[in-house]
Amino acid sequence: MPALTANKPPESRAAAFTGHALRKTYITGETEVHALRGVDLEIHAGEVLVLLGPSGSGKSTLLNIIGGLDRPTAGQLWYQDTELTALDDPDLTRFRRANIGFIFQFYNLIPSLTAEENVRLVTDISDDPMPPAEALELVGLSQRRQHFPAQLSGGEQQRVAVARAIAKRPGVLLCDEPTGALDSVTGVKVLETLANANSELGTTLILITHNAGIAAMSDRVFNFLDGQIASIEVNPHRVPASGLVW
Amino acid sequence: MRALDLKLLRDLWRMRGQAFAIAVVIGAAMATFVMAMGVHHSLTQTRDAYYDRNQFADIFVSLSRAPRSIVDRVAALDGVAAAEGRIEQFATLELPGRIEPARAIINSVRDGGVSKLNRLVLLRGRGPFSDKAGEVVIDKAFAEANGFDIGSHLDAVIYGRRSKLEVVGIGLAPDYIWSIAPGELVPDASRFGIFWMGEKALQGISGRTGAINALSLKMERGASEHEIIRRLDAVVAPYGGTGAVGRKDQLSNAFLTSELDQLEAMTKVIPPIFLLVSTFLVYVVLGRMIRTEREEIGLLKAFGYSSAAVGGHYLKFAFAIALMGIVLGSSVGWWMGRSMTGQYAEYYRFPFLYYQVSASVFSSGAALAIGSAAIGALGGVRTAIALAPAVAMAPPPPPIYHAGPVERLGEKAGLSAVGNMIVRHIARWPGRSAVTVSGVALSLGLLFAVLQFIDGSRAMLDNYFFRAQRQDITVSFIEPRNEKILTELASMPGVIRVEPSRAVPAILRHGQRSERVAIESADRDNRLTARVDANGFEVPLPTAGLMLSLPLAKQLDLSPGDRVEVRLLGGRQTDMTMTVASTIDELIGTRAYARSDTLFRLTRDAAPVGSAQLLIDPAYRNEIITDLANMPEVLGVTERDTAMALFQQIIDENIMSMMGFYISFASAIAVGVVYNSARILFSERAHELATLRVLGYFRSEVGIVLLGEVALLVVLAVPVGCLTGYWLAQLMVSMFSSDLFRLPFAPERSSYGIAIVVILLAAAATALIVARRVARLDMVRVLKARD
Repeated sequence: MPALTANKPPESRAAAFTGHALRKTYITGETEVHALRGVDLEIHAGEVLVLLGPSGSGKSTLLNIIGGLDRPTAGQLWYQDTELTALDDPDLTRFRRANIGFIFQFYNLIPSLTAEENVRLVTDISDDPMPPAEALELVGLSQRRQHFPAQLSGGEQQRVAVARAIAKRPGVLLCDEPTGALDSVTGVKVLETLANANSELGTTLILITHNAGIAAMSDRVFNFLDGQIASIEVNPHRVPASGLVW
Repeated sequence: MRALDLKLLRDLWRMRGQAFAIAVVIGAAMATFVMAMGVHHSLTQTRDAYYDRNQFADIFVSLSRAPRSIVDRVAALDGVAAAEGRIEQFATLELPGRIEPARAIINSVRDGGVSKLNRLVLLRGRGPFSDKAGEVVIDKAFAEANGFDIGSHLDAVIYGRRSKLEVVGIGLAPDYIWSIAPGELVPDASRFGIFWMGEKALQGISGRTGAINALSLKMERGASEHEIIRRLDAVVAPYGGTGAVGRKDQLSNAFLTSELDQLEAMTKVIPPIFLLVSTFLVYVVLGRMIRTEREEIGLLKAFGYSSAAVGGHYLKFAFAIALMGIVLGSSVGWWMGRSMTGQYAEYYRFPFLYYQVSASVFSSGAALAIGSAAIGALGGVRTAIALAPAVAMAPPPPPIYHAGPVERLGEKAGLSAVGNMIVRHIARWPGRSAVTVSGVALSLGLLFAVLQFIDGSRAMLDNYFFRAQRQDITVSFIEPRNEKILTELASMPGVIRVEPSRAVPAILRHGQRSERVAIESADRDNRLTARVDANGFEVPLPTAGLMLSLPLAKQLDLSPGDRVEVRLLGGRQTDMTMTVASTIDELIGTRAYARSDTLFRLTRDAAPVGSAQLLIDPAYRNEIITDLANMPEVLGVTERDTAMALFQQIIDENIMSMMGFYISFASAIAVGVVYNSARILFSERAHELATLRVLGYFRSEVGIVLLGEVALLVVLAVPVGCLTGYWLAQLMVSMFSSDLFRLPFAPERSSYGIAIVVILLAAAATALIVARRVARLDMVRVLKARD
């Protein structure tokens, strides 16, 4: 079912996130850091969006706000019909639990749990999850289910993280430098699994990367500079992840 | 200030909670040490100074009656430096507004209250004139308890004669630092006074002109106590000597010594527990600190700091914590010791009480504290020294988990992912988990062992007053009476039953060992008193031979069936050999028993009744007490219920006030251990906890990961703590036992309950404080920072 939407042009899809005048100011010591300086945005359901830009340009801050990990200092943000900026902490937690899958650069697996148990960590608290074994099969790790993170390679660990993120069938996958710690061959494998989730589950995929090459697999690219979206590129010809090189 | 020392200060500030929690445990060790040693030293010094200044005698003996000239004969014995004779005379006092008779022991002194030995200290007023009948100096505690002062008058019956006494002075003497009326178990200053009266006056009243009935002497340096006692007994034997005793067996000194021994025992049991826990804590906290500061250590070494400088830096950290504990504990201990010394002053009567904690107490306590911190720091410091700069600057390898037995167990038990996280983390850090479990267990055990003291005291109370003593009133006589007195007592209105009993002083000898005891007797059909063992079971008197209390049998190396030489003292001195028929495991004193017919066959005297037990109709209580007080042959009247209430009061006042200290100290261990393990856990798992929050776990659910592990360890500590407490309580019971009494090991189940609840509450409150950090967990920041 979700596959049907995948080929539509992005503009025609429903909005997953709508943001208006989002600002974020951190106060560190005596200096104010303006991480976001009034960002307006619309992210479409089911699209693959890449956030590009130099360090400190505000992309991670935006990703954290979208994921309900952080709150903007000013501005409003909606997920579908829900105003995220109006939610309290428990409701934000509920929002993350129900809708968001996170993937980090350093995997953030729990070292004391096996691959399967790391996935179970999420399926234990989800309403309609896929069985952990199935999620691991989707990322090609059926054989390594009983392994602990320390017994897995970096790429395998990141694929466990992907399995953990997709197992609850989230509406949105947020990935902060998912391939940053991986070599290109492994990185491509991880991106393939992410692209599969997008195409097969209809999951909105938002990726932060320093790697401009990855932009080729996206529907759109937000270019960040100094806490603002400097430009938006639409990519009419998505390249499959397997075709990426860097 | 050197940069490294600046780092030390900042580290201490950053880790102030953990450092303080350890310092509190070290402080508890220091406080109990300073308190017990300080009080011990203070009491010892006060006692020694008092004994020295007031010529406290070395050897004491009571006689029936001897001419005063015997004093010179005794003084001439080899090794005797000085001898003093006096009259000790019991008196019954009639205090206004009081039915119960009070008693006093009146000691004779020379003109003006002077004596060679056991000198009277006059606090106020003057000494009595020797020939002025009725002038007395009374002891301070009795005066205060009854509101007497100089110029007060009181009525007394002395040797059957009614006399009016006038208080001319308030005083104290070194042979009555602690005093108790004969036959009583609990001191009661309001009902038992120590009086001093001029010699001639007392001779006149007691009909002992030119005679004495008590002797004491001081030995020359290096003289043999044993030898002098042997010779002294030979000299006084014809005068009804009841066996001389050294200071060890002098009642007042024996109680004081037993108290001092208990204080010393306390320093051997309690501070080591705290020190052990603080060693554990330093080990765990410093170990964790060094693991997280690997990169800094590498950097310091790369900059050229020597390994010794880096190791010394962390050692200083441990010492700084110890120093905090030392300062904290010294002041608390000093203050506690002062209040405890004040309590002692109520029961032990000194003319002055030095409360002085010597520098050596502080310094040895401090040395122990620093030593245990150093031992705890050793492991961590060695790691810091051994780290090569290059290795140290790489992040530590992540904790490696394998599919081990714990993992398989968790799978079999069907644990949730979070459950597995908790169980596996415990198994991954077995040493630290063991520290948490044993620390909490020790605090629980310590608390239980202290609670058991109250249970033991109550059990002793129950054992002695409810099981062994069923009479309402015990009447003791000035001299043993014949059986007519029983009929007389039985005919009083309201008296339901009368039973005689007797105690005959004797020396028991077995090989080289000998002990002075009183052989107590009761009739075969005796129902009001019973011999009850430590377990509360009544043990019958043997039909023939002696029954010895177990401590006495041990002291004399005797078992049932053995023969023992018995010398009856007082009056006719009879030697014979008797069989030890049985032993009894009793709580109070070292005692010997025989049936009255057995004893009668030995004494063959006409006056076998030393005291009588009465069961009465409570409605007649006042009349009976008044009548008894008016009988000239009656020396003392003891009511069981009054004694029991007094005993209860002592338990309540003394033990309960100490309980406050111990509950807080035991809780301090639990707090210190739980706080540190929760903090370490939090810092180690902050990353994982933040990950869980990101994945959609609520704060409460994330809190479970943190609290679950602590809770599981604390729960594991409960049975271990109960076992530790069981063992510790028995150790303390045996260390605190003396010849005078022995607390039974008789814990109430509720004591386990109370100890568990207190420790669980302390642990829960502490863990919750740390768990609040989960609420403040900044997911973004934690996830950005690599652990």
